[in-house]
Amino acid sequence: ILSAIVSLPLIELEARIMSSRKPGDSDVLSSLYSMIPLLFLLLACVELSDAAAAVDVYRLVQYDISGVPFGSRIAALNHHAASLHSSAGADLSRSVLIIPLRELNISLVKGNFQLRLIALHLELDYVELDSATLVMTEYISQKKTLGGLLLLLPQMFNFESGDMAVTKDDIHEMERLKNLLVELEELLIHANIPYPVYFAFEHDDIEAVLADIQRNDVNGQAATPTNGGYKFVVSAPEPKKLASPIMTNIQGWLPGLKPDGDTNQLPTIAIVASYDTFGAAPALSVGSDSNGSGVVALLEIARLFSLLYSNPKTRGKYNLLFGLTSGGPYNYNGTHKHFLLQWLRSFDQRLRETIDYAICLNSIGSWDDKLWLHVSKPPQNAYVKQIYERFSGVAGELGLEVELKHKKINISNPRVSLSSWVIAWEHEQFSRLRVTAATLSGLSSAPELFQRTGSLSDSGYLVSEDAIRRSIKLIAQSIARHIYDQQEDMPVFADDSSLAVDLSYVRLWLDLLSRTPRVAPFLTKNDPLVAALKKELAEHTHEVTVQHELLDGMFTFYDSTKAKLNIYQVASVTFDLLLLLAVGSYLIVLFSFLVITTRVHGLIYNFNHDNCVSSFCLLFFNHPIDQL
Amino acid sequence: MTAFHFFNCAILTFGPHAVYYSATPLSEYDTLGTSMKAALVYLGTAIVKLVCLANFLKVSENDEFDPYQESLKALIGLVDVAGIYFALTQLTHRNISQNHKFQAVGLGWAFADSILHRLAPLWVGARGLEFTWDYILQGLEANANLAFSISMAALGSLMWLRRNKPKTLIPLIYICALIVATMPSITSYLRKRLDWHFPEVVGFELGSSLVMAFISWQLFSACQRRSS
Repeated sequence: ILSAIVSLPLIELEARIMSSRKPGDSDVLSSLYSMIPLLFLLLACVELSDAAAAVDVYRLVQYDISGVPFGSRIAALNHHAASLHSSAGADLSRSVLIIPLRELNISLVKGNFQLRLIALHLELDYVELDSATLVMTEYISQKKTLGGLLLLLPQMFNFESGDMAVTKDDIHEMERLKNLLVELEELLIHANIPYPVYFAFEHDDIEAVLADIQRNDVNGQAATPTNGGYKFVVSAPEPKKLASPIMTNIQGWLPGLKPDGDTNQLPTIAIVASYDTFGAAPALSVGSDSNGSGVVALLEIARLFSLLYSNPKTRGKYNLLFGLTSGGPYNYNGTHKHFLLQWLRSFDQRLRETIDYAICLNSIGSWDDKLWLHVSKPPQNAYVKQIYERFSGVAGELGLEVELKHKKINISNPRVSLSSWVIAWEHEQFSRLRVTAATLSGLSSAPELFQRTGSLSDSGYLVSEDAIRRSIKLIAQSIARHIYDQQEDMPVFADDSSLAVDLSYVRLWLDLLSRTPRVAPFLTKNDPLVAALKKELAEHTHEVTVQHELLDGMFTFYDSTKAKLNIYQVASVTFDLLLLLAVGSYLIVLFSFLVITTRVHGLIYNFNHDNCVSSFCLLFFNHPIDQL
Repeated sequence: MTAFHFFNCAILTFGPHAVYYSATPLSEYDTLGTSMKAALVYLGTAIVKLVCLANFLKVSENDEFDPYQESLKALIGLVDVAGIYFALTQLTHRNISQNHKFQAVGLGWAFADSILHRLAPLWVGARGLEFTWDYILQGLEANANLAFSISMAALGSLMWLRRNKPKTLIPLIYICALIVATMPSITSYLRKRLDWHFPEVVGFELGSSLVMAFISWQLFSACQRRSS
C-alpha cells in the first residue's frame, strides 16, 4: 500500500504528461513512468527464506598431506534427501543420504578397513556386513557416488547443548555410540570423499523430517507436495586453502631461587601439554580428554607452584617452565619448532640452560587406576630411573599405579611414507634434542596419526574431574619431591591445605575447554582462547612468551567448517504441471460461461425488445447497430 | 519450478479479472477507464480505512474474537460501501448502461483489492523452494472476492441508481447488501471464534460468493425486467 501511495503522484504525473503530449513524443519516457510504480511495488518486497527447518551443520575436515587430498572436497549442497531405507538398487548419486549414528553397526577391524573392502570385493563374509556397513564402505570407498552425506549425532556429543545431563541414553549405549563414532571418524578422516559430508545433532525438527523420509522410502512413494520430497540446501562458497596456518606456543617461566654469589645457571624442569585438537569436524573438535585434561592439569600445577614460589623461603632451586604447545596432532610440530628454534637462537640465554627433564601431559582425564609413563630412553638409564622412582613412589602413597613403558623413536626417513613417520608422543621431540623427557598418559599405547587427537567422540561426558585431580596431585608431588630433594613422605599438596588441588578451578577450565574447538589452523593469532591461556599463565608465572610458528608445509587445510542447512519441502514437477492444467481449464470454463451468459443473455434481452435487425447485427458482427 | 508455481498462482489470482473483462461485453464498450477509476477509489477507501483502524482500534495480544473490536471493524468496513457508492454515483462515466457500469466498477474494485492484498505475499512467498497450499487458497479467495465485489456493485447500483424498484424486493436488496458488506467480519469470526482453518474459510467464501452472486443477479434482472 505504501508503494501504491508513492506511485499515485507518479500516475498523476504520467496522466498529465499524456494529456499534454504532442504527437511524435517518444513513448519510451511514458512507458518508463508507468514502470516505476511497478518497480516500487517489487522493490518493497524483501526476499525471505522460508525453509521447513534450518539446522546448524558442521563439515567434515578437508586437508591435504603433501598434495594428497583427504576428507570431503566439496562444501555446497543442493539435493533431494534419502535415507538408508531406500531400495537397494536406488540411484543415490543425486541425493543426500541422511544417516543417524545410532543406526550404524560398523564392526570394522580397527584401522583395517582395507581388509573389509577386499572381503567385499571377493564377497567373503557377505552375511556379516549389514546394509549400513555396506552402504558406508561402498560409498566411502568410491565404488558409488553420493550427492552428499549427513550424519546425525546424538546430543551427548554436542558441547553447545548446555546442560550436560540432557542425554537420554544410558551408560552402555553411550559407550557403544562413542566407539562407533571413533571408528567412523577414523574411516572418514583417511578417505578422499568427492561429495560434501556434514555432521548435525539430533533434534526434534530434523528427526521429524527423517521419519518422513524413511516412511516414504520404505513405501517407495514418489514425492508429493503434502508428504515427502525434501530438499537439502547448504549454500556455502567453495572451500579455500587456509593461507599460512599459524601455531601459537605459549611458554611461562617461573624462576627458581638462585643463592647469592652463585653464578651457575639453575636447572629447569619443563611441564608441557599441547592444547590444540584435530577431528573429523573442525568446528566440533573440543577434545576434552585429548588434550583438555592435560591443559587443565598444567594450569593447576602452575597455580600451585606459583603459590609455593611466591615465598622466597619455599622457592626451590629449580626453574619451572610451563609450555602450552600447538601442532600436537601434526607430529607435535609446534613443540619441535618451538624448542629447536629457541635453542638455535643464541639470544635466548635461559633456554640454553640444561633442562633437567621435561614431563609431557597427554589424556590424563579418563583413566581408572593406572597411568603410564612413556619414555624413549631405555629404562636402565639413570635419569629415567630417577624420574620413575619418584613417580611410582608418590603413586603408591596415593593409591594409584604408574607403569613405565619404553618405545624407541621412529627415526626412519620422514619422507618415505606417512605412516612410518609418526611422532607418537610429545616427549620424543625433546628426546630428539637430547633432553630427558617422558609423557604421562592414561593411554597405554601410542596413538597413530590423527588418533586420540581430541576428535568428535571426545566430549565432556567422558572426562572425570577426579582423575584429573589425582593426576595433578601425582605430578605436582613428584616434581616437588625432586625439587626439594625430599626422601621421606611429606605431602606438600595435601587436601585441606592451602596448596590443595582446587577442584572448582579444574572444573572451570575443563568446562571452557570442552566448549571450545581448537583446531590449530583455524585459530588465528588473536584467538580469544589463546589470549585467555596466555593471561592465565601470566598470572601464575613470572614471564610469559608467545611464539607464532608456521605449520609444517606438508599439511594444507581448507576452510568452510560450519554452515546452515535449509530443509525445504518441495512439490514435484508433475504437481506444477497439473496445477497449470487445472487453472487453465478453470479459466477457459469461466470464459465460456461468461460469454454464454452475458452475450447470449444480452442477445436474448435485445431480442425481446428491439427489432430483429439489431439483434442480428449484434450476433454476427459483434457491433451494435449504431456503430455500423 | 518455483517461478512456475508463482506463475500458476498469479494466473489463478489475477486471471479471472482479465477473463471477466474480455469475456463479457465490457471489453467492447471500452470500460477500462471506469475500472481504473474504481480501482483508484478503492485505493482511497483503503487509506481511509487504515487511518480509522489505526486511530480507533486497539491491537490485541492474542488472536481472540473481541465483539467490540469486531463491531468496530465492521463499522469501518462500511467505508467500503461508501467507496462503492462514490464510485458508482459521483464519478463521471462515459455513456454506458447501468448493466455494464456496475460490472466495471465491481471489476476494478476487485482487481485493486487483489493487487494490493495478494500480489506482495505472492511475489515474496511463492517463489521460494518451500511448498505450501497457501497461495493456491489465496487465489481461490481472490476469485470469491471478485464475485463479492460484483454482487456488491450490483446491489449498490440497485439501491442508489435505480428509482423504480418493486416494493417487495427492496428489503431483500438491503439485506443482501448488508450480508455482503459484513462478509469480512463473518470470515474473521469463523476463523477466530470457531477456529476454522484457511481451506475451510476459503471454501465457505467460495460457496457464499456463488450464492450471493446468483441472488444479486436474479434481483438485478428482476428489477431490469420490471423497469423496462
